[in-house]
Amino acid sequence: MGAAGLAAEAFALGVSSGPVCVASCAPVLLPVLVAERKAAWGTGALLAQFLAGRLAGYLGFACIAWLLGASMSGQPRARTWAFGLSDLAIAALLAGYGFAMRRKPFEKACPANWVRRFAARYSSFASLCLGFASGLSLCPPFVAAGVRAAQTAGLPSALFFFLCFFLGTSVWFAPSVSLAMLRRLEAVGIVARMVLFLLAGYYGYLAVIALGRAYLNG
Amino acid sequence: MLVWALLMFSRPEPGVAPRIAAAVTLLFMVTLFYQMMRTYETHRWRRYFFAALGFLFPVGFIWELIALRGTMSIPVERMISGDTPFCFMVIPMAIVPAAIGRTVVFPGSILPTASNPHAVAMMVALWLAATLVMGKGWCSYGCFFGGIEEGFAAVPKKARISKIDLRWRWMPWAVLAAIVLLSAATLSPVYCSWLCPFKTVTEYPQVRNFETAVQMGIFVTLFLGLVVALPLLTRKRTQCSFLCPFGAFQSVFNKIGVFEVRLDRSKCKPCVLCEKACPTLSIGTDALESGKPRLSCMKCGACVDACPRDALVWHIKGTEVGAAPERARLLHLYSAWALAVMFGGSIIATSLTKLIGLVA
Repeated sequence: MGAAGLAAEAFALGVSSGPVCVASCAPVLLPVLVAERKAAWGTGALLAQFLAGRLAGYLGFACIAWLLGASMSGQPRARTWAFGLSDLAIAALLAGYGFAMRRKPFEKACPANWVRRFAARYSSFASLCLGFASGLSLCPPFVAAGVRAAQTAGLPSALFFFLCFFLGTSVWFAPSVSLAMLRRLEAVGIVARMVLFLLAGYYGYLAVIALGRAYLNG
Repeated sequence: MLVWALLMFSRPEPGVAPRIAAAVTLLFMVTLFYQMMRTYETHRWRRYFFAALGFLFPVGFIWELIALRGTMSIPVERMISGDTPFCFMVIPMAIVPAAIGRTVVFPGSILPTASNPHAVAMMVALWLAATLVMGKGWCSYGCFFGGIEEGFAAVPKKARISKIDLRWRWMPWAVLAAIVLLSAATLSPVYCSWLCPFKTVTEYPQVRNFETAVQMGIFVTLFLGLVVALPLLTRKRTQCSFLCPFGAFQSVFNKIGVFEVRLDRSKCKPCVLCEKACPTLSIGTDALESGKPRLSCMKCGACVDACPRDALVWHIKGTEVGAAPERARLLHLYSAWALAVMFGGSIIATSLTKLIGLVA
């Protein structure tokens, strides 16, 4: 199959599975998009950051999938570790973002300068980190793409396949910029921060369960 | 009430217990309505009905579960066969997956069956009809869970905790957003699986492993904390105010509902008795300045009853504020009490039937 055929296949797979991708990433993405109550351009920039992080996650996973020679989906234990670690990263990043939005607790609690500096700056690149962590998580369309990428001729082909797949799924994320309209509501910031902590708890629990299962089954 | 009585007395159930239960319920509901008319007070009498509904619903429900399955817990195989009774709490979680994926994220059946009479379509139709007329009034007349905490909140004469950080009132919106997003992502009713305090007194997944044990722990903790302890300490409906995502979802329908409570600012001297009386933190300085309670108002009437200057009045949208408040109250009560009798009354009568059968 030529490059054009591979691109068309990956793009079509991305477009067709886009709604599932949006549903999988929405719990992580949407609270971040509304938390800082930015205008459409600011929200668009956050979305772009998230998608860039997600692309980096996809390509990173493509490298792993190809280097392993087979999809991780075929290895239950490795898959459980991957699930657990990505959930743990998402939980930590969400909770960190919730705290970073109100920097005072960090400034009071952490004596180390680098922690304070990191906390102060984290909110500006949290979206990128969350996108990366989401990109590494194994949602069903992603596993399907991973299996197909592992069957391609070489690493560049696998990366190219994931890039096209990413572009296909990204079409479905564009409407989320419209959430900028919510910024006029004063309570949106408070609600979004609460959502961040609730979701951090949920992903944290999932991580503990998955890592515990992987460890015990080891 | 007459229609309800005819329906109840003509039911083909054997024995005298259903008739006695129907008669007692009818007398109870008629007396309360009469008292509402006689005293011009709404909340005080509604609360008796609501607490009775809250405490009797689990009795009948658990009885039915035990008769059908022999246990309160629902085994996985029964979930798979669609035998889980549908609860209105699932509605906000079900909308997005149903719209996008044509999937009902609940292990119940769409239409009633012999093994599961509480089907999705029946509950959605009932809820929709009541909500379009009463807005969030559903939470004061239809929600069989709210009555339990309202009952506990009515026990102490004075609140031991009176200062509550008002930011917590946004929590139901956060829970709503989180469960809608997670339900769409996982195609499962996340609130029912993880956060519903009322699983403790209705049904719960069979505890088979660590995960279901954690879920059960969360249910019991939330129930004891938000439905029992905090209402006793604050005299507020704390589960409704700080957790219930359905209540937040229902608040949106207050924009549609015909009836509302309004403030006649010319009569108001800010004595804040209404603020103290409100069980859901729906009245504060901002609300008094704007002339109406916050969106979370569930039209229980506590503030109207508490106001010594009649500054808070019932109102029909599109009419002049304070022009005919008693007429507005009556019209609201007719629709609300119709729901209370037809839905709540049937639940109370069914549960009483079981209790009478137990005694006899």
